[in-house]
Amino acid sequence: MSAEDWQLLWFTGRMAALSTCLVLPVGLALAWSLARARWRGKALVEALVSLPLVLPPVVTGLVLLKLFGRRGPLGHWLYQHLGWEVVFTWKAVVLALAVMSLPLFVWAARASLQEVNPLFEQLARTLGAGEWRVLFTITLPLARRGIIAGTMLAFARALGEFGATIMVAGNIPGQTTTLPVAIYYSVELGKDSRAWMLAGLSATLAFLAIWAAQRLLRRPKR
Amino acid sequence: MNHGLRASFVKRFDDAVVIEICGLALGPDPEITVLFGPSGCGKTTVLRCLAGLERPDEGTILFGEEVWFASAGRRPLPPQRRKVGFVPQDYALFPHLSVERNIGYGLYGLPAGERRGRVAEAMRWLGLEGLEGRRPGALSGGQQQRAALARALVVRPRLLLLDEPLCALDAPARLRVRNQLRRMLRRLSIPTLLVTHDRADALALGDTLWVMNQGKLLQHGLAHDVFSRPANLEVAGIVAIETVQPGRVLKTAGGLATVAVGAATLTALPLDLETAADEVYVCIRAEEVILVKGPSVPSSARNCLAGTVCSLAREGPMVRVGLDCGFPLAALLTPQACEEMFLHQGDAVSALIKAPHIHLIPRPD
Amino acid sequence: MPILLLVLGGGPGGGGGEQAGKGRATVIVFAAASLTDCLKEIAGGYEKRTGDRVVLNLAASSTLAVQVRAGARADLFFSADEAGMQALEDGGLIVKGTRRSRLSNSLAIIVAAEGGAEVNSPQDLAGPRIKRVALGDPQAVPAGVYAREYLRRLKLWSALEPKVVPMESVRAALAAVESGNVDAGIVYKTDAAVSRKVRIACEAPREDGPRISYPVALLADAPQPEAARRFLEHLGSEQAEAVFRKFGFIVLAGPVP
Repeated sequence: MSAEDWQLLWFTGRMAALSTCLVLPVGLALAWSLARARWRGKALVEALVSLPLVLPPVVTGLVLLKLFGRRGPLGHWLYQHLGWEVVFTWKAVVLALAVMSLPLFVWAARASLQEVNPLFEQLARTLGAGEWRVLFTITLPLARRGIIAGTMLAFARALGEFGATIMVAGNIPGQTTTLPVAIYYSVELGKDSRAWMLAGLSATLAFLAIWAAQRLLRRPKR
Repeated sequence: MNHGLRASFVKRFDDAVVIEICGLALGPDPEITVLFGPSGCGKTTVLRCLAGLERPDEGTILFGEEVWFASAGRRPLPPQRRKVGFVPQDYALFPHLSVERNIGYGLYGLPAGERRGRVAEAMRWLGLEGLEGRRPGALSGGQQQRAALARALVVRPRLLLLDEPLCALDAPARLRVRNQLRRMLRRLSIPTLLVTHDRADALALGDTLWVMNQGKLLQHGLAHDVFSRPANLEVAGIVAIETVQPGRVLKTAGGLATVAVGAATLTALPLDLETAADEVYVCIRAEEVILVKGPSVPSSARNCLAGTVCSLAREGPMVRVGLDCGFPLAALLTPQACEEMFLHQGDAVSALIKAPHIHLIPRPD
Repeated sequence: MPILLLVLGGGPGGGGGEQAGKGRATVIVFAAASLTDCLKEIAGGYEKRTGDRVVLNLAASSTLAVQVRAGARADLFFSADEAGMQALEDGGLIVKGTRRSRLSNSLAIIVAAEGGAEVNSPQDLAGPRIKRVALGDPQAVPAGVYAREYLRRLKLWSALEPKVVPMESVRAALAAVESGNVDAGIVYKTDAAVSRKVRIACEAPREDGPRISYPVALLADAPQPEAARRFLEHLGSEQAEAVFRKFGFIVLAGPVP
């Protein structure tokens, strides 16, 4: 592995970590409201959140491209008010990774939030704990196994994301090229041995992340 | 002017079950009130409504000057602000926190030193020393109960709500813990509402008692009184008076009523009968029946009934004797008494019952 | 399996025209993306006249070369640079003597037609208002390789390299400029001509630019070598050359070594 390859790995890891940091609060909020609250339109939101799981990733990429492109509604607003360029920058990488890994996190976190006995939360309230305190000291700790597993799943998914990333961030070496994108382009250029080496790396990382997540999800409670 | 808790509310459920509470009152005196009724009659829901964990559909819940719930008013006062100690049926100790942190959970705003001090004090008081670092899963049933109680008490609540505090304990622990609980509650001086379906618990722990059935409050009074003198047949069934027989009042004279029950005649005090009712139910607690074997002696009991022993059955630590005295009568004896009297099925005995121990309920046609 | 081949092998016939006794052949042509529009027109005319079918696989020449080397079925390879063709020839994948280079092109710097940045010379690309420039991937796509060479000649490559957004084909670079997600792009002049959403900011004159050459050859493993040769001939005909010129390609006189 060359210095360039280490750079690639480091960059991919950083982007996946950033995207997971983005997914956590958004995903927790979604998971919590889907698990607990009862509100109209819940089914619609559920379906929307699951969409990136089932849609071809390039479709998701296309949608993101249209929304965040310079002329797109969100892209234009971001450029006007914050001077941010999204498409073809690392921000687009983080965006693509986050959108594609969000459903996995929400799925795992929601399941484990639903299992938390509401009586504990109610009891905490009778002891004077405000809603935020109940969330952070009771609900989330009791659901931590699923939340951690969800985080690992999301991270693993982000490490391996390709279809949406290539559409919305392209392949700019050093700026937006992630591990999966580099593998694809190595094949395109006919650099098979490099492609295999990077593929092996990618597979190892994915395996480690999934294995850790499975261990967390499967361990019996008592 | 603190009048304590005053609650009258209605809560409806989807499957047409309705809980209608009228005139539930607690405090301000620090007495222990038992809410007694069969499983599923809504007792837990009442507690949860008082704690603020469930919201009634109509009515009011007031505590002193505070409006905790009013259907016409603004939003109900959230549980955080009611300062009520709530101990649910299986204690619900937070499984991810140690005993010490469980107990200290409600003391969030206090400086660490004071918090530790109060937790230690509560643990000492409840005999939980040495268990600070343990997880709730590693505690025995009795210890869990005391820890849950400590958690509720350490915040110095104004009201204590206990849901079946002894239900999760097995028989040997139950007796011991019940006595402990009684001593503790008496020392606490906090108005307490305790829910149970167990007669022994209710009698042992409660000062006053509310009988509840199918979502409604039926009778209120001193525990012992309610058990001995149910207001109507429904209550009689719930408090499980052993002998309930239909009878007819023959005459009332000199403060005594003569009642025909089956083939026998009884003398009772017509205290609880408001109107001169002819048709009545006669209620006699089995504990209040004295058995005599052999020739009858003059006694102060107004009722001396000749009868035969029909059945003998162990009921926990006692023996229930079924008699035929012209009507089916149940008596509760100690096993020692049965042995000393050489009681067997078919024996002829006399049953002595004092007039005040015969309770009359009007019987509608 | 054999039944499947039978069903697939008895393929649909082309529109119109019969070849007595010969049946209809399908010629598979792997061609550079920049040839999209002109080849479609040439192929359409050819199909009508002869009854053979022409199937076009259009992508960056580098991508196509990889596919051929991996064993993809194709009759003709029409590349946008000599390097790709040479690699195949070195690998023995070309039928000797069929290689011919008669076509050339020139580069153009393009910007979006509406609201595109002000670019009057290549040097303007190095300015602060141009943040991103789309090229075919300079590592492999011929258009990108040519563009890099051109910029190197102008000594602009080091200034522009950080702004480059490599795209997987010259048409992808064109699309990027159309969408407005990049500020400018370098494509073939012929590509700029077919799009109404871009305009040519300035052209690279042929003398200053790199030598662009479009070789075409018959592949050794061609499934339909006869039909392929016929189409290859046709590509060199007057009619075909007229179409190439119409789209802005430069037709070279005589064979180019």
